Amino acid sequence: MVGGQRTVMDPSQPDAASDDAMDEFLEKFRSQPYRGGFHEDKWEEEFEKIPLFMKTAPSEINAKENPDLACLQSIIFDEERSPEEQAKTYKDEGNDYFKGKEYKKAVVSYTEGLKKKCNNPDLNAVLYTNRAAAQYYLGNFRSALNDVTAAKKLKPCHLKAVVRGALCHLELKNFAEAVSWCDEGLQIDAKEKKLLELRAKADKLKRTEQRDIRKAKLKEKKEQNKNEALLQAIKARNIRLVSEVTGKDDDSDSESLGEVLLDGLSSENPYGARLSIDDQGKLSWPVLFLYPEYAQSDFISAFHEDARFIDHLMMMFAETPSWDLEQKYCPDHLEVYFEDEDRAELYCVPPKTTLLRVLQNPRYFVKALTPVFLVCVGTSPFCKNFLQGRKVHQAK
Amino acid sequence: MGETKVGPGVSADGVAPADSHTLEASLEAEAAKLLPFLEPAARADLQAAAAQHVLAMTGSKPCRQLLAGQATLLRALVELATAPAPAPAPAPARDAARALVNLAADPDLHESLLAAEPGLPARLLGRVLDPQWPWAEEAAAVLANLSREPGPCAELMEALAAAEPGECGLERLVCALCRPDYNARAPLHYLGPILSNLSQRPVARAFLLDPDRCVVQRLLPLTQYSDSSVRRGGVVGTLRNCCFEHRHHEWLLGPEVDILPFLLLPLAGPEEFSEEEMDRLPVDLQYLPSDKQREPDADIRKMLIEAIMLLTATASGRQQVRDQGAYLILRELHTWEPEPDVRLACEKLIQVLIGDEPEHGMENLLEVQVPEDVEQQLQKLDLQEQEECQRQQLEQQLAPDQQAEDSTPT
Repeated sequence: MVGGQRTVMDPSQPDAASDDAMDEFLEKFRSQPYRGGFHEDKWEEEFEKIPLFMKTAPSEINAKENPDLACLQSIIFDEERSPEEQAKTYKDEGNDYFKGKEYKKAVVSYTEGLKKKCNNPDLNAVLYTNRAAAQYYLGNFRSALNDVTAAKKLKPCHLKAVVRGALCHLELKNFAEAVSWCDEGLQIDAKEKKLLELRAKADKLKRTEQRDIRKAKLKEKKEQNKNEALLQAIKARNIRLVSEVTGKDDDSDSESLGEVLLDGLSSENPYGARLSIDDQGKLSWPVLFLYPEYAQSDFISAFHEDARFIDHLMMMFAETPSWDLEQKYCPDHLEVYFEDEDRAELYCVPPKTTLLRVLQNPRYFVKALTPVFLVCVGTSPFCKNFLQGRKVHQAK
Repeated sequence: MGETKVGPGVSADGVAPADSHTLEASLEAEAAKLLPFLEPAARADLQAAAAQHVLAMTGSKPCRQLLAGQATLLRALVELATAPAPAPAPAPARDAARALVNLAADPDLHESLLAAEPGLPARLLGRVLDPQWPWAEEAAAVLANLSREPGPCAELMEALAAAEPGECGLERLVCALCRPDYNARAPLHYLGPILSNLSQRPVARAFLLDPDRCVVQRLLPLTQYSDSSVRRGGVVGTLRNCCFEHRHHEWLLGPEVDILPFLLLPLAGPEEFSEEEMDRLPVDLQYLPSDKQREPDADIRKMLIEAIMLLTATASGRQQVRDQGAYLILRELHTWEPEPDVRLACEKLIQVLIGDEPEHGMENLLEVQVPEDVEQQLQKLDLQEQEECQRQQLEQQLAPDQQAEDSTPT
């Protein structure tokens, strides 16, 4: 059916006189305009509306706007045709969308085709496989896998389904499965190039993944061993650790000592430094020096356990720090204390002591694996004030 | 692979009868008596006893030779062992198959066996590839023994080709070998040695190494098949034979097959490498766990080294083997290796890898023409080496306690 006026030749006119009829016909156009033509200013629009000349079909067909197209559509999708014919039409529609990379629409078409539940397993297998392909390009790999699995059930030797399945597994990083599907496919066609390539690729990725797992395991084991060594070292030295969280101290319970240690090791030290052990089995601690007088602090990332306080102080206070307004913080005048928080008592640490010795003090509890010490100038008024009213011991 | 002997303990070998003629006569009479009971229609319990008896007889060489001469008996035995009967009582079919295994172990008897039953390889093949047949492993063992000799091997190839028109027929065999669950009642490890024997034939190798297919690649993971040294040995033997095809070396060593890591992996131990060394190794050999075991069978280790040695025949092959870190693995192997002859093979391979390149004209060592006097010299050296090896082995045997410390693998 084509729109526009139809001009019909009058059959009753004899041929001989047809010339006249022709003339008469042509005469008409002198007085009457041909109304079936396109309008000059809208001809392109109207052209597009004729189904035969359409470049793109509208996504929704409005029967009022486009009666011709609506008619065509109803012919194709006539419910009176067999399910198989309908399914095939949907398949073709889906394929067209697929070619145009409109994958979502393709999926819809294929789904409609499958809904027809026609009795042709080959057709259904193709519908599933094609839908799987569309899903694949949409990134819905699991849905795609479901579809190819269904396709395979209908038609076990449908090679395209197997290839698609292998591709899905590859995207999902199920490399062993991908190889397995490739092998299945190669049983159908032993020389299928795509499968050979896919298999080699999946196999290599699988083996690389296995290597990565081994590497991670080894790293974890090394980490564990290191922590174990640290734990042993601390235990051997009888150093008491305190969990930041619970505030409990555990001197005899080795298991929770381990937990505390792991807590401390795993929790990020704000300065990024960690307790470490060297080849000779010696520990080095991250240590915090606090200067309560001026609310300042210094952080020593690795204080070797055999080093003495005075050694560090000599280095750190070779020049008096900027916050030392009275310029009195020089190594000779400094006094080091640690606090026994439990009993709220202070212990004075002779500068020539080693870190290890202090840590081994029965009243020293290391918090968060970072020993803390207070430093002030012994003779200063601040210090006297600071110590007033508090019990002070001499640490041995 | 090695001879397969299945069946109750061998005992009669060393016994020398006073009169061999009498023995022969009495054995013949015995065989004749057994024959009716081996017939398919015989009573089940008697059939079982007869089969068991024959099996016992195959334990001794003279008996075997005698049995081989009894064509009718052999045919009955084959029938019993291979006929897809509805359900022969389990014992007779199995014992008959095992008797055949022992008979086939002796290459001298092949002629008689095949004369009595010309279609034997084909019949056995049918049983081997039947996923329901409970005695498929025994049938495979017979074929493994038979196919060691060129005649039966050719016949087996023919039988395979006949089963798959247009193809060489090996695909079904490879398929069954690569799927451990092919037959729920029989492990089919002996498919390994069968394939190894078949791979002596160029047609088989051509199929295995077809670049348009994926065949040899499927065999590679089996070099690590821990449940059976028979299967493993068969696969390694197959791979070694394939390595004779130097025109395929580049493909074998390249990414489409990547054969080298699979040959090196069984030779690698738990030793740790530095980060830098680790980077030189192929992915499959990196970060091996601390409980990694080396291939326990010395013969298989030797075949692996031989396979790698073959791959170094061409200059480009040598380079590829070097580039893929083989030296590191072989170095550690050499330190660990307890067997003198394997250690020697390892040394030679290391020499090839770290030695100078051969002069112009000798790029493909498999195609070099060796002048006669040099040939003689080399043979003499070989002999000396062998003697040295044997001496060392003897030393090891005589002083086990002393050597045990060194030779026990870590």
